Amino acid sequence: MSILASGGFWAFVGVVAGIYTILALGLQVQFGFAGLLNFGQVAFMAIAAYTMAILVVKEGWSMWLAAALGIAAATVGGLLLGLTSLRLRADYFAIVTIAFSEIVRYVATNDTALTGGTQGTIALGRVGTASQYNGQWSSFESGVEHALGFSSSDATMLVIVWFVALVLLLLTWLGLRTPWGRVLRAIRDDEEAAAALGKNTFAYKLQALALGAALGGIAGLFYAWEFSFFSPDDFQPLLTFFAWMILLLGGLGRVWAVPLGAGIFGIVFAGTRFLNFAPFTWFGSDGRAYLRLIIIGLIIVILVLVRPQGLLGNKREMVLE
Amino acid sequence: MRASSPLLEVDGVVRTFGGVRAVDGASFTVEAGSITGLIGPNGAGKSTLFAIVAGSLKPDSGRILFAGRRIDRRPAYRVARAGIVRTYQAARVLTRMSVLDNLLIASKGHPGERLRGLLLRPLAARAHERRTLVRAHALLELVRLDAHAHAYAGTLSGGQRKLLDLARVLMLEPSLVLLDEPMAGVSPALRVELLEHILALRRDREITFLIVEHDLEFVMRAADRVVVMNEGKVLLDGTPDEVRWDERVIEAYLGRAR
Repeated sequence: MSILASGGFWAFVGVVAGIYTILALGLQVQFGFAGLLNFGQVAFMAIAAYTMAILVVKEGWSMWLAAALGIAAATVGGLLLGLTSLRLRADYFAIVTIAFSEIVRYVATNDTALTGGTQGTIALGRVGTASQYNGQWSSFESGVEHALGFSSSDATMLVIVWFVALVLLLLTWLGLRTPWGRVLRAIRDDEEAAAALGKNTFAYKLQALALGAALGGIAGLFYAWEFSFFSPDDFQPLLTFFAWMILLLGGLGRVWAVPLGAGIFGIVFAGTRFLNFAPFTWFGSDGRAYLRLIIIGLIIVILVLVRPQGLLGNKREMVLE
Repeated sequence: MRASSPLLEVDGVVRTFGGVRAVDGASFTVEAGSITGLIGPNGAGKSTLFAIVAGSLKPDSGRILFAGRRIDRRPAYRVARAGIVRTYQAARVLTRMSVLDNLLIASKGHPGERLRGLLLRPLAARAHERRTLVRAHALLELVRLDAHAHAYAGTLSGGQRKLLDLARVLMLEPSLVLLDEPMAGVSPALRVELLEHILALRRDREITFLIVEHDLEFVMRAADRVVVMNEGKVLLDGTPDEVRWDERVIEAYLGRAR
């Protein structure tokens, strides 16, 4: 039981939930409001994280500047994806987004000179030296830790991630309450009707995609800082589907459903490691790791049956035609 | 009136789907301030032509001129901004948005609908939103949906949706309204009301109407000119009385008399 009581462990769970909140918030803007099926959200995490790490290690940039450029690169990635593919029908677009995220991951895997390849960011610099990109982050984090009077870097990270997540949630919430957000919802409901009312639907979809990509990029930066090291394997399509699960758990079209979904997801995901009693002990520990996916899958199946709109979603919005 | 150039000019428009020539060289004009009926049997090409005028379909050849300018290569949203707004046979209200939002969405040049406008001109955006709100409430009263302002549009009946659609079109202050079967699925009482709305809008706001409708009685009563289409071509173009007794029209609808 020691780990259950450990503040550090739960702080870690909270940090991961915060990162997922930012990642899934991007999907909420894209799908929950603009109706875009994006199954490649993880690509924007990868683009931002790699851009930041490469610029810091190879070019010696300031980490903050490199991070800003990482977010910009993710946004540009979203724009390029949209410009080439948004005219496709929704289901074809969804397929292209998966392909896009896999292309990004494969490039990261194979362009060893640029990304360090399968060895990850540790191989970014010269041979024989272990590269790291987060020296500046560590000193920033300990500065915050000192200022807050904390004695744990986990707790400090928790505060930083959730501070940023809450600011982004608030900005998104405000942004989507504007007439601009209203146009997005109209496009989600009936794109052709929105066009017949004089709305340049392509431009709006592109904006939603790019903003969601920027949010994905921010999530990628925090992912990189939290783990101090990453490799292409960290950006498997599974991560995108975790974000989708959070979206379905919380509910579509509701900004504040995202942190709720992410919180529940985080607890279930971390909580399965405490299933160290029969019948779970019949499986090996690595087998048990997969139990979390099965349990989350079950929760979603039950949710779809009992509460298809998600926890905070509005059921009437699902049945109206 | 004849001397001035027409508001809308459809000139030799062709559109094929695979081997089918849905619209096959159709030409006609719509005079400013008129109510023009577009009739013809099923498959005559009326709906395709409508979609071409509204910009959601591109013609293979031919031209569409609106107030003297070519619009046939413009995307639908730019045709709408130029002043041509269409309705659909089954009113396409935004079901998961409130009735009021359905009207607010139809605002021209709203700075708050652009990210740049929101950030750089927040006061202008807010002022525009206030004006839009006033106009939306006035139009809701006009079509007597004000009691439903905050209900989801998806909860409205078919007839109410048609009224909402009409009100939404009016929000855009169009000069030409394309109505696609406005009477389909509408109760007799509501038909009278819709007709009155259309006549009043022409009279008070000088809106021009082009109406596709299968209810010939309605067309004959409402329209000053009737364009008859058959097999993708314009068969005849005249006043309701000229069209009513024309043998070619009867033949197109009923087949050749033996």
